[in-house]
Amino acid sequence: MPKTTQCVILLTLLLSVACSPGDPDEVTTSKVYRHAMDGAPASLDPAQAASLYSKFLVVNLYDTLYRYKYLARPYQLQPNLATAMPEISDDGLRLTIEIKKGVHFIDDPVFAGGLGRELKAMDFIYSIKRHFHPSSRAQGAWLWQDRILGLDLWKAEGSDYDQEVSGLRALDNYTIEITLTRPFPQLIHTLTQGFAAVVPREAVEKYGQQLSSHPVGSGPFRLISRNSTRAVLARNTNFRQEPFDLKDEGYDQKTQGEVGLEDLQNKVPPFVDRLEIEFVTEDAARWNAFSAGEIDFIKVPVSQFDNVLSQRNPPILSSQHEDIYQFEAASEAGFIYTNFNMADQRIGYHPDPERNRRNHALRCAMIKAFDWKKRNEIFFYDIGHVFPGVLPPSVPEFDPEADAGYIQRDLESARQLLRVNDWQADNLPVLEYGFPNSVTERQIFEQFRNFMMDMGYPADKIRPLVFATYGDYQRAYSQGKVALINSSWTMDYPDAENNMQLYYGPNAAPGSNSANYNNSEYNRLYEASTALNESTERTQIYRQMNQLLMNDCVSITGIARTLLFLWDKKVIMKPDRSFLGGYFLRFVDLEDSLQTHE
Amino acid sequence: MESVWQRLRSDGYGMLGFYIIAVFALAALLVWSGLLGQSWAVVSGGRWESISSTHWFGTNLLGQDILQRTLFSSATAFEVGLSVTILSTLLGTVLGALAGWFRSSWLDELILWVKGVLDSIPFYLFAAAIAFALQGNRWAMHLAMVITFWTTTARIIRGEVIRLKQREFVEAARAIGLPPRTIIFRHVLPNTSHIVLVQATIVFVAAIKTEVILSFLGLGIQNGVSWGLMLAESSQEVLAGHFGNFAAASIALFLLLVGFNLLADSLQDAMDKRRSVS
Repeated sequence: MPKTTQCVILLTLLLSVACSPGDPDEVTTSKVYRHAMDGAPASLDPAQAASLYSKFLVVNLYDTLYRYKYLARPYQLQPNLATAMPEISDDGLRLTIEIKKGVHFIDDPVFAGGLGRELKAMDFIYSIKRHFHPSSRAQGAWLWQDRILGLDLWKAEGSDYDQEVSGLRALDNYTIEITLTRPFPQLIHTLTQGFAAVVPREAVEKYGQQLSSHPVGSGPFRLISRNSTRAVLARNTNFRQEPFDLKDEGYDQKTQGEVGLEDLQNKVPPFVDRLEIEFVTEDAARWNAFSAGEIDFIKVPVSQFDNVLSQRNPPILSSQHEDIYQFEAASEAGFIYTNFNMADQRIGYHPDPERNRRNHALRCAMIKAFDWKKRNEIFFYDIGHVFPGVLPPSVPEFDPEADAGYIQRDLESARQLLRVNDWQADNLPVLEYGFPNSVTERQIFEQFRNFMMDMGYPADKIRPLVFATYGDYQRAYSQGKVALINSSWTMDYPDAENNMQLYYGPNAAPGSNSANYNNSEYNRLYEASTALNESTERTQIYRQMNQLLMNDCVSITGIARTLLFLWDKKVIMKPDRSFLGGYFLRFVDLEDSLQTHE
Repeated sequence: MESVWQRLRSDGYGMLGFYIIAVFALAALLVWSGLLGQSWAVVSGGRWESISSTHWFGTNLLGQDILQRTLFSSATAFEVGLSVTILSTLLGTVLGALAGWFRSSWLDELILWVKGVLDSIPFYLFAAAIAFALQGNRWAMHLAMVITFWTTTARIIRGEVIRLKQREFVEAARAIGLPPRTIIFRHVLPNTSHIVLVQATIVFVAAIKTEVILSFLGLGIQNGVSWGLMLAESSQEVLAGHFGNFAAASIALFLLLVGFNLLADSLQDAMDKRRSVS
């Protein structure tokens, strides 16, 4: 047989072997859930999990002591890495928390033999300390600053990890004791944050800043790959076996019965093998990917509200989408506002009492000229919740009887306020309205300027101050360089204290009080409320503080957005973008028909 | 011999370009004089209103009149085009003439080195760096363009000056003892006017296009409106089926650029001495 013929036969045989179907039993099946987010995480290091996007991934790669129940609303705390809710001393200052035994970090070369070691109480202590260590570039210290006994002193004395902090101790390998400087009922909420996720010390020491892209956690997933446009996570096969219990997660058959969650009972999360998370900032691109079936979930862009809804209030999905998608409309836990910079003498506090009074009148006039109805209609499709002050409908302290006049446009009163207080077009101050560079932010500015122009404020006296990124903008207003600060606040935990601290005097810039508001009565009430748990007494205090803010005309506020979620009907889940955040991903499941063969 | 204007007039396409530019220039003048487009920021209608007798081009998301914004944007285009063209052409002409006249001297080497460095930086990266460095400064975009646009003009003028330096009229000027400054600015540069004029029209077009791109990216116009900002707005509207901003800005930009290209081509032909001799 000629050599050429022999070669052809050999090649044909090889090809036929390579292309032949294998044993059907050997084909692996995997469940892949494809999620889309409108931004990308800057870091996967829990110490830097400041953004919604970072936190979303971090809580899936790492473990936290507590989390929120998947389905219970209002949100309820649930032990995660902890065995139970903490034991709290009578004075509320000492918390003892036991953690689960046998929880292991994922396998990684940092551990002996490459096998993930057991997670111990000291790992939690170390992870919290990192926020107070300068080399971590951590962003979560504010959660525990001046709250945990000895932690600030530990920082002041040089942040030596081997030095014990009196208020943060491991009693044994599985018991943590936290001692507070004063009662802090919100502490357990802070332990659900991505910031409180547990990292192994050896990983931090080996990877350093690279930890931001090389997570070593004990969460339900591990990272396979990540770049600026997507992250791929695979199930952590060593994740603890805890069967899903509908009742325990706060399931309500009446409101959640249509999603197919009953099928999950007694299954062990995580339910999917692989998460593919796309970071698509452009609304159009994200919507196109969703429409084409390339992703399973989307937070609907406002430009598509017309397309997907058949009715606005309450939002109802159009029939053409109803057949293929699950739908949910959720009120955002937070609000959007425009603060006046009270430290700016052109509009805020002024040493001259007369000018101070006129500035107050000017701020109140601007609040009256602001048209919340129009703002809601144009940018939130008329389905946002406009409310007076800083207590949005999502918190129990929300006051339906609060002064509605604060959010109603009254141009005549606004003009009169200006007239009476001797404000004319020529003596009104030039004010800079800050915003990060984006089309929508610019449109929001232009609309604001129009509202003020309607009152008689000259257009050229309200000027845009554009920043390249939100970070630059935040830095600028934290340094008091912006007169009018348009921003949004997403609550870190479901407790109104998180909103009230935004106007607490000692939190002034560079702290979270970007308005630089400083009212002794407000400060006194805030301090009195911090030791209180959610109660009628605390609600009264918060409402009083809310009224003070409105009386002082500190902020044009607010609106809580309504977010619309769409997801493929074959995906079994109840998505969440607020407090539960990324925690829901471990409970996402797909109908069997959606399994893909590899 | 026909004058440049006569040759230009005989070119139909050139005149078409001229008239298109004239219409836009008139609009810009009327905007500057406060007679047109002054309500570009005012909300005068509802969200995304269609074309009507009140709003000829419809309205945008906020209810602002798209026609008013388009007209105001032509003033923005001319403001950027004129300032960048004048400054960068002036700079390029002077530096090019000096480099050409003092060819192979340290001055020539220095100018060529600076030009080489600037040409090697990706333009949009450079513009972004300037914009970020001069945070909020309304002239950041203009500055970035002037700094980078002069180099081409300088290169062309340098070559022309080297050529002219060998001509008899320059030899004569040197022979009678005129200083280099007088020879360059009184005798040499006027003879490069045809090149400068054509190059200026090209820079004008480039400046307008660049302004639109930079504004689209958020690095351009900060307090005002431009076709770039309108196109950026339209990127969120087109998907929802609203094309007013997109159509108005892109058609206006297209027409003005076509006008300039037609005129530049025609001007080049009209100023071509070889063509005029034949």
